Amino acid sequence: MTTQNKTITQKTSKQTVLQAHNVRKSFGARGNVQQVLKGIDLRVAEGEFVGIMGASGAGKTTLLNVLATIDRATEGTILIDGADISKMKDAELSAFRRNQLGFIFQDYNLLDTLTVKENILLPVSLGKMKKQAAEAQFQSIAKILDIEALADKYPHEISGGQKQRTSAARALINQPSLVFADEPTGALDSKSASSLLGTMADVNKQQGVTIMMVTHDPLASSYCSRVVFLKDGNVYSELYKGDKTRQAFFQEILNVQAVLGGDSVDAL
Amino acid sequence: MCRLCSGVTALTLFDLVKRSMRKNIKHYYLYFFALILSVVLYFVFATLQHDAAVAEQGTGTMGTAFQVAGILLIVIAGIFIVYANAIFLKRRSREIGLYQLIGLTKRAVARLLILENMLLGIMALIVGIAVGMLVSRVFLLLLMKLIGYEAFIEVSFSTAAVIQTFFVFLAIFVLTTIQMVFTVYRNSLLSLFNSEKQGQHPRKPKTAVSAILALLGIGLIAFGYWLSGRMLNAMIFFNMLAVLATVILGTYLIFRVTISWLLYRIRRNKNGHLGLENSLSLAPLMHRMKSNANSLTIITVLSAMTLTMTAAAYSMYYSTERETQAIMPFDFMFENEAGLADEISEELDVNGISYQREAVETFVVPAEFEEKPAPFLEQATDIAVLSSEQLQQAGLDVDVPANGEASFHDVSVSTLFNSVDLPFDLTFQDEVPTTLSIMEIAPYNVLNWSFFTSQIVVNEETYQSLKAQLASETGDAALQQMDGFHIAEEDMAAASAIYQQDKYKTSSLHVDYYSSYEESVQSNGLLIFIAGFLGLVFLISTGSILYFKQMTEAEQEKQSYATLRQLGFTVKDIMRGIIRKQAFVFGLPLAIGLAHSIFAIQAASFLFRTDILFPASVAMGVYALIYLVFAVLAVGYYKKTVKATL
Repeated sequence: MTTQNKTITQKTSKQTVLQAHNVRKSFGARGNVQQVLKGIDLRVAEGEFVGIMGASGAGKTTLLNVLATIDRATEGTILIDGADISKMKDAELSAFRRNQLGFIFQDYNLLDTLTVKENILLPVSLGKMKKQAAEAQFQSIAKILDIEALADKYPHEISGGQKQRTSAARALINQPSLVFADEPTGALDSKSASSLLGTMADVNKQQGVTIMMVTHDPLASSYCSRVVFLKDGNVYSELYKGDKTRQAFFQEILNVQAVLGGDSVDAL
Repeated sequence: MCRLCSGVTALTLFDLVKRSMRKNIKHYYLYFFALILSVVLYFVFATLQHDAAVAEQGTGTMGTAFQVAGILLIVIAGIFIVYANAIFLKRRSREIGLYQLIGLTKRAVARLLILENMLLGIMALIVGIAVGMLVSRVFLLLLMKLIGYEAFIEVSFSTAAVIQTFFVFLAIFVLTTIQMVFTVYRNSLLSLFNSEKQGQHPRKPKTAVSAILALLGIGLIAFGYWLSGRMLNAMIFFNMLAVLATVILGTYLIFRVTISWLLYRIRRNKNGHLGLENSLSLAPLMHRMKSNANSLTIITVLSAMTLTMTAAAYSMYYSTERETQAIMPFDFMFENEAGLADEISEELDVNGISYQREAVETFVVPAEFEEKPAPFLEQATDIAVLSSEQLQQAGLDVDVPANGEASFHDVSVSTLFNSVDLPFDLTFQDEVPTTLSIMEIAPYNVLNWSFFTSQIVVNEETYQSLKAQLASETGDAALQQMDGFHIAEEDMAAASAIYQQDKYKTSSLHVDYYSSYEESVQSNGLLIFIAGFLGLVFLISTGSILYFKQMTEAEQEKQSYATLRQLGFTVKDIMRGIIRKQAFVFGLPLAIGLAHSIFAIQAASFLFRTDILFPASVAMGVYALIYLVFAVLAVGYYKKTVKATL
């Protein structure tokens, strides 16, 4: 709880993007209920790059799905940009996702039948954005992510790293309040992975885009400004990068992970 | 496998079959449905073929018609089942791969599949024959109603039909078994595991070549349509082949090139701003157009064929009464047989049948048309001349032509005059040639003529002057006294029976309105039944194939729908795009098939003397409606799939 308080005191100047309070999620029918999230409190401020880490089964992806409105929490409140998503209807949630959130998936989830540009422009297709505005937005994002030359290529014609950049561009096209990334580097080789993470960190710093990334890779999370560790459905601890170098932060993450992992093996 | 444990293996294999069938019922039902449906329809058909009542009614032509239809039915059922099996195998290829992965030999997997296929086949036969027995009565009643048979009908269980059905499906079973063995032996493990992901990637079409081929497709169809309206000349056979070839080739090019080319152009204009609905319709359509071209062409051509067949058959059935009336304006007629006419009048009186006896005078003279009117007609012909006033007296509805003018009546050739410009001249060669202007080609006869002689109607004044000039007391141009009889509707059958007695028979063509109407109803009723039955089978097969194809596509595109929903598109948004795609997939073959059949019917309209717009529209409308059911089913399946993704 001490870390939680520290977060609030440190970041009050920045606006809150996401505020989760006592989020619980259970699966299964009566008699065989398994609680995956056991009351999570989390606050993400504008411009943060938050990494969520934890062992398999710690509830990382469940937490992400619940926060990203893809799944509903069993209990608790979640406010994104001040809107309570737990009270929204399905159609409202869809519109909310389309307008306020961005997604980057491990498997890219690009539509095979669409070109890179068509994939990227998909989220704005039902919105009110004018064609010129969308085009300008596409050009600027494609430039940042260095995929301008790929606009007319199909997903099967480009590399994994390029696919993930496309996926990232799609997540950013409608200037979301919050971008969720689920193991974005999981399917990439180390070079493409660090290049993508570097770009994400740049976008985060320069464009002020708030990102929440789930990963099990300590190297990936060392690009974050803060890392939250989950264990058995609870927040175990948090680390801030602060002014540390990425290497030093990486070491710190490794240390926490060692404790986390060792603990779980020894304790049980 | 060692010899000792082979018995054990067989047992576990059978267990495996049972278990996998129970677990995969969802995958099976499609193939199973295709099997059962084919068995039901074939069995119903075989039962009718062997039914005593049908055999008794039918003469030689009926048997032949049934046999030809039976062969067509086997071909369609075979194609349909093999196609369904192909889809079924593709969906299960991962499972087939898995069996091999866990160590079953290809041989064992093939045996497992054959065993399964056998079980499915036997079950389908039992269920199909049972259902077939239930519904065959309905079909028999329908057939009997159509051919105007009004006795009590009982469907007897036909062993012959069961045996026939069994052997037909045994042959089809062998076919599907070969197909299965082929799948197991030919494919590598890797391709089995990846076959669900197949589907080519769209390539940029070579613009110049595509543009030419795309326009050629449209051009070929347009040419075929154009030619179909001008087929009736000496080269009719060649013309028909040319129309068929150009239209089918054109259809193929439309699906293979034209549509992709058009879609590509639309897409290029969008410059990446495709929008959700196009992303879900235009893009996947382009993606699959290449592999779908063949099946869409076949479906379109089959639909066009079915539509033409059923529309023509229904038109024939529908216009039977009017057609017979056009051939025989009187219920029966005597030529120069006043004695027989008196005799039958008496007999009708005795039997209490009310009738009207009308006398009409005519004579037959050689005449010559201004020029050869149509490719199949001679310039010189024999013509019977009649007076319009006399005919009106006799109760016929004819107009009175002006002096020197005439109307031309001959149902057997009237449609051949369609392309002739009116009026044209008809000249009687005598010492002084007399010329009449033909003002009208009427699609009905004014005499029950037992020889196929054309008739012209002139007014009384012209008639009398022609008679004075051309007719003689004896010889070829002799005057003939015609005695026509009109019978009231309710007495027609009795009067017909009296007329058909041998003593009234004067020529080999001894026909009356009632009996020839009955005969036409019988043959046209059989025709519409067979055409309708085959049409239904074609329709169900093509509709099901399209539906199965869409089911497979829906499965393949699941991930896209999941992604879209995560990105924040609602089921409703996604369904809009999918419905657009379905409208295209189902609508295009239907629209092109309809267009083809409309031109085909128009080209064949010379077979009909009556207006067939109504019956043809009804047949086409019914076809389109049943066809749409499959589109609705496909949309429903997509909706279920999209909903289940998140």
